[in-house]
Amino acid sequence: MNASSITSPATGMAPLLQTQDITKRFQGLVSVNHVSFDLNDGEILALIGPNGAGKTTLVNLISGTLPPSEGELRFQGTRIDTLPTYRRARLGIARTFQVMKPFRDLTALDNVATAALFGQRGGATTRQAAREDARKWLDFTGLGHRADQRADALGGPDLKRLELAKALAQRPKLLLLDEVMAGLNAVEIDEVVEVIKQIRDSGVTILIVEHVMKAVRSLADRVVVLHHGELIAQGNAETVFQDPRVVEAYLGKRRA
Amino acid sequence: MRPRFVILLVAVTALLAIVPIVGSPVMVQFGISTLLFAVLAQSWNIIGGFTGYPSFGNSVFYGLGVYGTAIAMAKFSLPFGVGLVCGAILAMLCALLIGLPVLRLRGQYFAIATLGLSVAMAAVFSNIEIAGANIGLILPLTRADGMFYELSLGLLVACVLCVFWISRSRFGMGLIAIREDEHAAASMGVNTTLYKTMALVLSALFTSIAGGIHAYFITFVDPASAFDSTLNVRMVIMTVFGGPGTVLGPVVGAFVLSAVYELLANWISTAAALLFGVVIVVAVIFMPRGIADLAAGIRRQGISYLLQNIRRYRL
Repeated sequence: MNASSITSPATGMAPLLQTQDITKRFQGLVSVNHVSFDLNDGEILALIGPNGAGKTTLVNLISGTLPPSEGELRFQGTRIDTLPTYRRARLGIARTFQVMKPFRDLTALDNVATAALFGQRGGATTRQAAREDARKWLDFTGLGHRADQRADALGGPDLKRLELAKALAQRPKLLLLDEVMAGLNAVEIDEVVEVIKQIRDSGVTILIVEHVMKAVRSLADRVVVLHHGELIAQGNAETVFQDPRVVEAYLGKRRA
Repeated sequence: MRPRFVILLVAVTALLAIVPIVGSPVMVQFGISTLLFAVLAQSWNIIGGFTGYPSFGNSVFYGLGVYGTAIAMAKFSLPFGVGLVCGAILAMLCALLIGLPVLRLRGQYFAIATLGLSVAMAAVFSNIEIAGANIGLILPLTRADGMFYELSLGLLVACVLCVFWISRSRFGMGLIAIREDEHAAASMGVNTTLYKTMALVLSALFTSIAGGIHAYFITFVDPASAFDSTLNVRMVIMTVFGGPGTVLGPVVGAFVLSAVYELLANWISTAAALLFGVVIVVAVIFMPRGIADLAAGIRRQGISYLLQNIRRYRL
């Protein structure tokens, strides 16, 4: 695949995000190893792989939390791998954190309002407008009834919703969801799946890192599999799940 | 903010403003130092309370304000106002220069780095000829305590208005986001480096003007008292006592603690410092989030708020 081509052959549209030979080394350990893939406008791409495969590292590289050791990242055709995190956020890249990072001293509403004040350019400019925006996103993620509670009073599932509401309030073009379903029960997972579908339908491109395979099947247009930092398979969910290398990565080599 | 509360604040300010007319000279002098402490606490609040960076470098900004004013007036015979501007520019430049490297450190590392700076500054100024080396400088004597008082009050009002603006603005929300979680703040689009540096520069501005006023008021400066790190400790104590990250907490904290200390010193001068320490320890145990939170907590749940704090913070 020619990663530097501007139009992707699958859709004929310009990819929103291109990663080309992206690599991250921590001293001796190669966490992400020459990974290249495109993320097309409007799709949901699931990033899966066993624990320690480098999924969260890859999200950190895209969002700017970590600088890459090698490789290029392009967002809407322009290089972003040398931009600081906040500049990428202003271009329209929002993320949630697997280890949730709520603003504990603030109410849920002010958590989201802060995101609405910043995020992509052209959003709310006053605190009042930001709070109105925030209420909308809290309702959307099912947290409206807890808007005035401090974040440190919220439990795990509600904190996941708060992370999502904060990311959405940034009005992103690209949303990076790092295990937003971990720790949720079956009913809550179905709710979040519905919310994510609605987000996609509103025109946001989504990269999800997820261990809940049921959710991956029902959401992902395409799946990318990482193992030991390397991209070992990509394609639609059914094909990828039957790929022998993927089965081996998850279950180990079958010994005769 | 409710209109009635605004009227109350204006009335308190007006009352404070007439103290030099009706009060005794001792009261005016006590007033000057209390008002300046309130400015120092409020300035520290910008970087320590809102941004969450426990600065021990504010005594450096104070000292630069002191020396900027003193050198301009004693060595170049410039007017007081020009001296204040010199001190403020010096301090803000310093905040800019040290902010870029030092604000990359967090928590205790930031505290230690800035503490080191204030110790180093005293040594540096002891060796600068134009600053009077380790002997110090004498400023022209002015008997105008009323003027110093009103200047201090004016500075405090300006400082409080600035913090009020911060608490309502996008800038302030960005600072709070940095305090709460810097990675999350950056990933939602807050230019953390710029915001932190601006907070430190603003803090330096008000701190240095307070230093300049104090220098002219006492007419003598030397390195040890200009770069006194215990002054920085008092800024922290007053802010934390009043309520860090609130608009009026640090001012109330400075007023209450100054009054308590003065009363203790009058009543039992030998043990005043000891009792003052006890007051602080008790305050930290029962109201670790300051007077501002205490007021809200008591209204919400009465006296059990005090006990709940002990449980909540596992003391």
